[in-house]
Amino acid sequence: MSEKLNQLSFIIGVFFILVALVLLIGYATTTTLKHGINLYSGMAMMVFGLVMVRLKA
Amino acid sequence: MNLHFADYLVIFIYFVFVVAVGVIIKKKITSSNDFLNSNKSIPLWITSLAFISANLGAQEVLGMVASGAKYGIMTVHFYWVGAIFAMVFLGVFMMPFYYGSKARSVPEYLFLRFDEKTRALNALTFAAMTIFSSGISLYALAKLLEVILHWNFDLCIWIAAGIVMAYTLLGGLTSAVYNEVLQFFLIVLGLSPLVIVALQDAGGWDTIKTNLEPQLTHAWKYMGDADANPMGIHFMSLIFGLGFVMSFGYWCTDFLVVQRAMIAKNMSAAQRTPIIAAIPKMFMPLIVVLPGVIAIALTKSALDSGDYRIPTDAAGGYDYTMTLPSLIAHYYPSGLLGVGITALIASFMSGMAGNVTAFNAVFTYDIYQAYFFKNKSDKHYLNVGKLVTLFGILFSIGTAYIAASFNNINDFLQLVFSFVNGPLFATFLLGMFWKRTTGHGAFWGLVAGTLAAAITHGLTIAEGKGGWISPIYPISSGMGQAFIVASFSWIANFFTTIAVSLVTKPKPDEELRGLVYSLTEKVYGTEKRWYLKPAPLGIILLIITILLNIIFF
Repeated sequence: MSEKLNQLSFIIGVFFILVALVLLIGYATTTTLKHGINLYSGMAMMVFGLVMVRLKA
Repeated sequence: MNLHFADYLVIFIYFVFVVAVGVIIKKKITSSNDFLNSNKSIPLWITSLAFISANLGAQEVLGMVASGAKYGIMTVHFYWVGAIFAMVFLGVFMMPFYYGSKARSVPEYLFLRFDEKTRALNALTFAAMTIFSSGISLYALAKLLEVILHWNFDLCIWIAAGIVMAYTLLGGLTSAVYNEVLQFFLIVLGLSPLVIVALQDAGGWDTIKTNLEPQLTHAWKYMGDADANPMGIHFMSLIFGLGFVMSFGYWCTDFLVVQRAMIAKNMSAAQRTPIIAAIPKMFMPLIVVLPGVIAIALTKSALDSGDYRIPTDAAGGYDYTMTLPSLIAHYYPSGLLGVGITALIASFMSGMAGNVTAFNAVFTYDIYQAYFFKNKSDKHYLNVGKLVTLFGILFSIGTAYIAASFNNINDFLQLVFSFVNGPLFATFLLGMFWKRTTGHGAFWGLVAGTLAAAITHGLTIAEGKGGWISPIYPISSGMGQAFIVASFSWIANFFTTIAVSLVTKPKPDEELRGLVYSLTEKVYGTEKRWYLKPAPLGIILLIITILLNIIFF
């Protein structure tokens, strides 16, 4: 894990996964965030985040 | 514009991450070289993205969207004329000298190639300019947040400066570079949905082309006559002023961007850094120019179905600077609004951090070590580097408040910056490719170039600016004036450097090996595969750039 934390791609990936979770959970649970653009953007950021996390150094 | 919990949460996550990056990198910082130069250990993909991110501060992002709305698709010239060619030139021809000379900074290269006074002139002007640029970034961030979110101006300044200080002080240049890469992805992913929904709202590109004046949707077609295009410049002025003088002066000599290539792991990676960076740079107009064009199209009455308008200023004209924030406020709901605002905050803070890290390297190496304490321990220079970072941030805060007191300080400093940067490329071009160039020639050439820029500005007037000597030559746009000022400064520097060099004694050949093209052994790279070699990569990029210019002719 400590090695992963030294990888920028991992850090960027985790950041976008967290942002995607805010958008997706917000979309699913609140009316304020229930907009298609939040859903699609959240999904795109989630995919990007997962790819970055999986990247090798 | 009102933010909700989700928006604040995204901003908070970003702040936590940037500081965390600094904390993680801190463990690796053991020497001044680690802190100020990243120990030349940064992978190619990171140096490349940091290279373009260093030029992707919010002033550039807001400015390009504003220009897209004001000048239309012609704004792409800042990319397809004013960046790609210079970036390829830097990678193929200039990086071997910057990297191969083992110089730690651009001013240090000038010392090795010319002499102490040329280094001092460049180091002092660069250090001053970076502090002012950093302060103006900070001021602009606080002002933007005050205007669109009604946040407290002073609080914004101190919090933003505090966060930048935390991660640059902890992780030095590496930390700044890592955050620039994060900022790059944040801008691309944060603004892409905006382009898609706004373009859809405007009816697609074909509808925009039908409804806007053709001058706003063609890059070259109306440039044969300066009065026929919105920028008010002839294509020759554009090609020489922007495409050659300003572009090469910035991308090939400004330490803020060149530093990102100088920290690559090896020569091959250093050469490929600006070339790889040119690939996303080529497509950045989709993110930062297109929204401006869409905004003006939506604002025009022909596309009156939506309710979006570019905000107006007190005089009733369009406030183009507010185009991007107004698009974000109009199209982004809570959630994505936080992402959009975070992207803006990130680019402001990153712009500030980039300036501060370039400042601390130049100040420590080229001023402190060169003139005050030459032979101290590495630990001493590490501590000085950290102290300089701290003072750099404090000076930036001071500059931000100075900027707040003067309406036109930003314009003034951009002008001074162009006076200093405009002629600089002539010095490097002659220095690297003509071994007869002398230190005296370089120094007086720079002085003459800067004076020529000031005189040209004093004799021309555009949009009420300049003409302080005598407004004898009116120019229709400030942009056109900037190109002409830069052109004259370059010409004055070029010919003064040659004239003075011819009557002064050059350095012997042995001292110029590795610093001048004709005296340096040509190394064509260790890479076997063609797609890893700078020259073939550069040629492909130039062909694509020319094709893009033809498509949007």
